[in-house]
Amino acid sequence: MVVNSFKEVKMKVAKDSTTNESVSSVLAAELTLISTLLIAAIMLRHFNIVLAIVVILGLVLFFTTNMPLMPKIKREQDDSLEKMVFYAVLTLGTLITIIYWGLN
Amino acid sequence: MIDIVIDTQLASLFTSAAFIIVGLFAAIFLDNIIKKIIGIAFIEEGANLFIVTLGYKPGGIVPIFLPGMDAEWFALNSAYPLPHALVLTSIVIGASTLAVMLAIAIVLYKKHGTLSTSEILGDK
Amino acid sequence: MNELIPLMVIIPIACGLLLNLLHKKDTAIKILAIVVAIVLPIIPLLSNYGLHYFGGHAPLIENPILLETLPSQISQSALAIFHPAITYSYESLQKLFIFVLGIVAFFAIFTSLNETKKVSGPYMFLMFMGTAAVTALLLSNDIFHMYIFFEIAALCQVGIILVSSTKENYETALKYMILGSIGGPLLLLGIGFILGAVGSVNISDIIYAINQNLVNPFSQTFLIGFGLILFGWLYASGLPPFHTIKSSIYSKALPHSAALLQSFTVVTFIAMGLVIFRIFSYLPFLKVIILVFSLIAMILGVTMAIIQTDIRRILGFLAVGELGYIGIGLGIGTTLSITAGLFQAVNEILITALLFIGFGTVFYLTNSSDTKKLGGLITQNPKIAIMVLLGGFAMAGVPPFNGFQSKLMIIESALKAGFPEISIIAVLVSIVTFMVFMKAFYSVYLKPKPQDLSIVNENIPKSTILSIAVLLIICLIIGLFPQLVTDNISPFVAGLI
Repeated sequence: MVVNSFKEVKMKVAKDSTTNESVSSVLAAELTLISTLLIAAIMLRHFNIVLAIVVILGLVLFFTTNMPLMPKIKREQDDSLEKMVFYAVLTLGTLITIIYWGLN
Repeated sequence: MIDIVIDTQLASLFTSAAFIIVGLFAAIFLDNIIKKIIGIAFIEEGANLFIVTLGYKPGGIVPIFLPGMDAEWFALNSAYPLPHALVLTSIVIGASTLAVMLAIAIVLYKKHGTLSTSEILGDK
Repeated sequence: MNELIPLMVIIPIACGLLLNLLHKKDTAIKILAIVVAIVLPIIPLLSNYGLHYFGGHAPLIENPILLETLPSQISQSALAIFHPAITYSYESLQKLFIFVLGIVAFFAIFTSLNETKKVSGPYMFLMFMGTAAVTALLLSNDIFHMYIFFEIAALCQVGIILVSSTKENYETALKYMILGSIGGPLLLLGIGFILGAVGSVNISDIIYAINQNLVNPFSQTFLIGFGLILFGWLYASGLPPFHTIKSSIYSKALPHSAALLQSFTVVTFIAMGLVIFRIFSYLPFLKVIILVFSLIAMILGVTMAIIQTDIRRILGFLAVGELGYIGIGLGIGTTLSITAGLFQAVNEILITALLFIGFGTVFYLTNSSDTKKLGGLITQNPKIAIMVLLGGFAMAGVPPFNGFQSKLMIIESALKAGFPEISIIAVLVSIVTFMVFMKAFYSVYLKPKPQDLSIVNENIPKSTILSIAVLLIICLIIGLFPQLVTDNISPFVAGLI
């Protein structure tokens, strides 16, 4: 009995997301995401410098107001079929719209 | 009665578009796994119908060259055979995809006792 | 010997069918599978470069006697140049990739024969059939033929997951098939649009028609065909938004078949990506679109890999993230960058196969791949642990391994093309890849062993150790002598641009 309850507690701790390792990895992911997205946004300067500045400022604002991004992204990227289909159809729609109407 | 003369090719293209749209709707929004699979079959058939339609030639003849035919007349009047040949292969592919999906559906039904995709896949 | 070109596809298909018939005759299956798996990488080395016309139907222009009998409308027009037969084109690039694919297929089949207790004929059939389909994808010079073999490869991937009998494999297979049934027919529809505009599905013919202004390449038919084919490519290669399902597929397959599955994905990515590049390179925004999707794949792949706790899932996301490097090579679009991207593809096939088989031993030993439940396995088999560590170095781009050479080339080409941001992101992602790998390595091998970790199988088969060692040696050789690979790629790329 006692051993079993210990095991249960252990399982609960393992499932809890506040262990050292998982917190540090979520933080690392967060930093990677923010830095890479900001650097990628700089690339817009090849089209238009004003656009690049506006997008970077917008991204900074977005990041500071929605700081823990990673849990949200993780929730959006889980294995649920509906979310995957949603993003697939969204991409299809955007692609076709941009290619068909946007670039003529 | 109103006489509506519709071009055969155009009507066929509209049908294929309708097939694809209905199929996409069913595959995305319906919950029952069998209905999803039927929707997927619709998308496939829509694409196949589209390709068949490409080979249509108004007033064209069957693209078989018989002895005694004038080659020039034949070249101008026969339908375009390539899409028909291609579609045969793609129908076979579609059928095998469908068979695999139905087999998976049978196994999942035995395992979960339900046909609802959201229950099978555990999404809420 | 040009006759060997179709045999690269026919031999694995025939062997697969035969293996399926031989179900339950274990020794026969083993011998046949090993023999054919050895033959697979050898055929591309023996074959000559050239074209193969199925049914012998060469273009009319190569047959002047027949051409004279035809009316002048045909003999004077582009129809005389168009290819009536399904055409396989075999060049140095195909040789390289079919060889590498053959090696990975050999090791996947070799380890699976020794790790699984019961030899399964159908399982072998699926592996061979998938290899054949992907080889045909590489060889084919025909977009419709590519679609057919791509669908066959997708069905084989589903089959491999279904046979793997891991937890929830049927559910994942169903999700993949539903998504695939949206992506696949739309790809077919895109091919239909191109067929409608040009009247041929042969890639050389389409390029000829575009270059000779027989069709208007900026017409809306062409653009929508391009959009649909691009979407099909995203689905085929597991770029976002399909990266989640791709990584989940890798994690549901048995590790050695995951090694094969990722090589299928990389080869499909290359084959279809190059076709899109060849046909649509006149579109100014093509490179931008490829770059955008590759960058998203890199960023999402690596950030999602950090927060996973299942080693197979971590590897799956890392494999998706590494695809972004190849895409960047294609997207920058200079000779150097495309060479670098294709070089990276070769390296990725080898390294990811190594890591899947290497970490697969953990799954084989303990029947678990959750990093929280694992630990201290370095005492169990230090040799494999060290080889996996070296494989991780290769993936992250540590010299002297092959990953270093190709990533260096990509970064260099990005700098030369005037995109320093891309090189910064590439370095950053590669550092994070290293971190993710070290985290997984630490929690599997170095962390103190948990009390409740039970060892299911005591000994790792020697064949697995051999496979990992040989793959590692190949990685090292390519890292030391990169011109072995790049010499095969550069003539193709020079013809491409």
